[in-house]
Amino acid sequence: MSSATLYSVSYFLVNYVLTHIGSVLPAPLNAWITNGDLVTGLAVLVFGAILLGASMINTIVLIWWERKLLGRFMDRRGAMHVGYAGLLQNFADGFKLFRKNTFRPREADWLGFFSGPTAYLVTSFVIFGILPISSGWNSGVLPLSLLLALAIFSFAPLFIFVSAWSSNNKYSLMGGMRSAAQMIAYEVPLLLAVVAVVIVSGSFDLTTIVYEQQNYWFWGPLFLALVVFVAGMLAEMERIPFDLPEAEAELVEGWNTEYGGMLFAFFMLADYLRALVGSILVVLLFLGGWTMPTWVPSAATSFPLAGIFWFMVKTYLVFGLFVWIRASLPRVRTDQLLRVGWNRMIPLSLCAVFLAAALVLAKCVWPFGCLPSMGV
Amino acid sequence: MSDPVTATEKSSDNPILWVAKPMVTAARQFAKSLVRPSTVIYPYERLEDPKFRDQVRIESGKPIGVGPIWDNYRGVHALNIATCISCNLCAFSCPDLCIEMVTVPGGDPKHPKKCPQIDYGKCSYCGFCSDACPEGCLTMTTRYELSVTKRSEMVYSPQKMFGIYEQKLPMHPIRVERPANEDQILLEPPLCIGCNACARDCPTQCITMLDIPKPEAKAGEKVPKRIWKEPVVNDSDCVRCGTCINVCPKECLFWGNRK
Amino acid sequence: MWINMGPQHPMTHGLWNLRVKIDGEVILDCDPEMGYLHRGIEKISEDRHYNEVVTLMDRTCYVAGFAWEHLYILASEDALHIVPPERAEYIRVMCEEFQRIGSHLMWYAAFVQDLGLMTPFLYGMRDRDIVLDLFQSYSGARMTYEYMRVGGVRNDMPPGFSAHARRALDWLSDRFVEYDRLCLGSEIFRKRCDGLGVLKASDCVATGVTGPMLRSAGMRRDVRRDRPYSVYPQLDFEVAVADGADVTGRYLVRMEEMRQSIRIIRQILDWLDHHPGPVLADRLPRWLGAPYAPVGKEDYVLKRNYPKGVGLSSIEEPHGEAQAYVVNEGSEHPYRVKFRSPVFANISAARHYLIGYRVADIPPIMGSVDVCVGEVDR
Repeated sequence: MSSATLYSVSYFLVNYVLTHIGSVLPAPLNAWITNGDLVTGLAVLVFGAILLGASMINTIVLIWWERKLLGRFMDRRGAMHVGYAGLLQNFADGFKLFRKNTFRPREADWLGFFSGPTAYLVTSFVIFGILPISSGWNSGVLPLSLLLALAIFSFAPLFIFVSAWSSNNKYSLMGGMRSAAQMIAYEVPLLLAVVAVVIVSGSFDLTTIVYEQQNYWFWGPLFLALVVFVAGMLAEMERIPFDLPEAEAELVEGWNTEYGGMLFAFFMLADYLRALVGSILVVLLFLGGWTMPTWVPSAATSFPLAGIFWFMVKTYLVFGLFVWIRASLPRVRTDQLLRVGWNRMIPLSLCAVFLAAALVLAKCVWPFGCLPSMGV
Repeated sequence: MSDPVTATEKSSDNPILWVAKPMVTAARQFAKSLVRPSTVIYPYERLEDPKFRDQVRIESGKPIGVGPIWDNYRGVHALNIATCISCNLCAFSCPDLCIEMVTVPGGDPKHPKKCPQIDYGKCSYCGFCSDACPEGCLTMTTRYELSVTKRSEMVYSPQKMFGIYEQKLPMHPIRVERPANEDQILLEPPLCIGCNACARDCPTQCITMLDIPKPEAKAGEKVPKRIWKEPVVNDSDCVRCGTCINVCPKECLFWGNRK
Repeated sequence: MWINMGPQHPMTHGLWNLRVKIDGEVILDCDPEMGYLHRGIEKISEDRHYNEVVTLMDRTCYVAGFAWEHLYILASEDALHIVPPERAEYIRVMCEEFQRIGSHLMWYAAFVQDLGLMTPFLYGMRDRDIVLDLFQSYSGARMTYEYMRVGGVRNDMPPGFSAHARRALDWLSDRFVEYDRLCLGSEIFRKRCDGLGVLKASDCVATGVTGPMLRSAGMRRDVRRDRPYSVYPQLDFEVAVADGADVTGRYLVRMEEMRQSIRIIRQILDWLDHHPGPVLADRLPRWLGAPYAPVGKEDYVLKRNYPKGVGLSSIEEPHGEAQAYVVNEGSEHPYRVKFRSPVFANISAARHYLIGYRVADIPPIMGSVDVCVGEVDR
């Protein structure tokens, strides 16, 4: 199980298919088609395709999950008609958006207008190549995977601002401005909270961070960092109560007011991709990733793909927490958001960093237990 | 009247732990809704289903249920063509002018039977027509599904409304009482020429033409040229449709109240 | 920078335009523009029978149809010199108070949704549905009732209505606690709404602002108490007043008004249980009776029998103080109908309570005004 990474699986598939094709081809083609570079290149492509499909399906199921949960919070059912309990509703919606005409306002700048959502979607998607979903997923490939993921994650305000500005609409522009201000303000406490995790685990590699949580998950000792991280993540994901860039009450739809059809679907997908990434990061950094506590019976953790299963369960539960917050809190105002961000969140995250340092010095904390061996 | 209060003084619902109260409230509703949300899955469940109608239910997580009084709903009309007397009252009372009286088979050639045809594109479901109907043949039912693909299908012919009548839907049991002392049809005798138009067109046949004595010619005056008959209205049968007033060529009938 | 918030904008809750001049996020100037939903109801009314105008009243304010029916009926009864039976008056007041609850629940739903919170929207709509169920049980419709008639109401309550209504009131008064927890118990809500959209009592008086906005400024003015109409003198209730003059104050006033409405309705249900009787006046002109026929060739009779007159009425509508003026020239149609819409005055004063706040504050402030464009433009 641990050796079967996604890349090795795709490499095996490509190699298998190409070898069989090569065996029936004449001599020069036969050597060309089975050469190592081609196999590696195709394997990367297949790897990307599998990842794209998996993440898209997960995103759409995540939207369904949010709709159903929100429905119950609001004393209704959510989507019901297409598929079992409305499971296929979002696929139908996506298909409808796909079929719709894509147009742009005459005065809009076409380059920014079209490249903004595309780049937003692509950068949101790229993160999935970095995140480990299960043991040995991409272990040791990226020693700085956490930093890389967060760096790509923070590209978003740029593309949002580009698409907001280029759509030549006052509401879009205000939404883009708000978005940029908010994301930059919350980037700092978010990273500081991550620093706390890095201090305790001693690594920037997400796989290592997960393995460092074998004695106890980090959410207990690093609770302050978790709170700051979740709040910052809410702001980064632009979800209620921090969804003021697209505050539909005053800004119509914020920075995607002028978008429709497939470009709007890009935004929508990318938003939920980022929500999925946010939930996955919370699981990886604070909830032990795919590992389960020792008191869980081994039957529950030893079946095939158990790691992925428990990882997804945790991810969806964390996203459920975001939905719960969305169902019960109103939206804050821009100045309040920024004031909370700079005046409250940064001191809190600094406290979290100091607490993490103290934890490292103390080595053992009641009732959680001792740190595993330090070191990269 | 007691002393007025200040609303601010009464409310003591202040935040605990910033957002603890709303989150707990939402979670509690979540737990309730897991059992049964308040919504009705419309195409599969309907409010007129027995399970919603048998009893009025207002309990946790399930506040819906109109009960048997659902039958009062003012929906699409049902028309009993057999008892319709072509009195025009529904068409007259319609504020949206959406009722047109169209000929249906069954009348004699001289006086065709006319029944209402309703254009639901204009109808506002005010119920004035069914209130006005003296025979109770035009009633409103609990049927509310009207979506069609063509605008012309919004016009319901009398036959179509008769089809709805034959479905025996609950039909608007609230009946409006007629006022105790309504105005009656009164006659201004000197104007009448005894032409029989009112008696001929009366939908309830409540007008009879009675002979009156022909006066003797006085000196220097001509006896008016007319039929020596006068209409007499049987007030208990009269439905106050005003047809006689409208057909009267000499404007000798009018509304009045002798009581 | 001037931006147009409307006529099609999520903030407007209807069809009107708020032009706002902003500098960054701060509002420098604003200019409400109404008139996009003008349907000429006052002019159409001159062409309708007295009772047919009731169908238009339901559409004047589509969330407070009964209040406007009651307003118009009071004015036209004044003009036609008709006295309705007492039971009819009680039923009308019950309708109006239920409508106040329904309208305030609709306001609550829309207002909290403007703050970005969808959950109370559905709670408010769910509980408003119970009120609509009650309306449907006796009037037959959920929004456009056409229930009141000149000289009374169309029909009496169906059997079992009283018990059903009491159960609904119990349910509703429990829900108000939940609403307060969701809103007042939330730090974010308090941060958003406290001290927002302040309109002092003196400004309210100067700009003609009435209703919950005026009462939230600490002014105890309610037509039901100051110039009691209908059967309000016999009922025991209190006038809700807050002192913040801000959005939270308006929230508190409306919530308290709903509780007072429940109190009023309970008294009325008790009265109705013990006082059966007719609901429509006895001697009505023929064209005012419930099944009425066309008027033909009778003008001289009308002018002989029924005196001319002018009717004026003023009620406490859910949004504020509404007035109606009906001129009866002796025909079956009103000669002239004129309404005073409270919301028109309330949103015309937007410049007094919007300038200086932020763009993000516009939806909650305008939401707390409770805009119903149907009655603004008529």
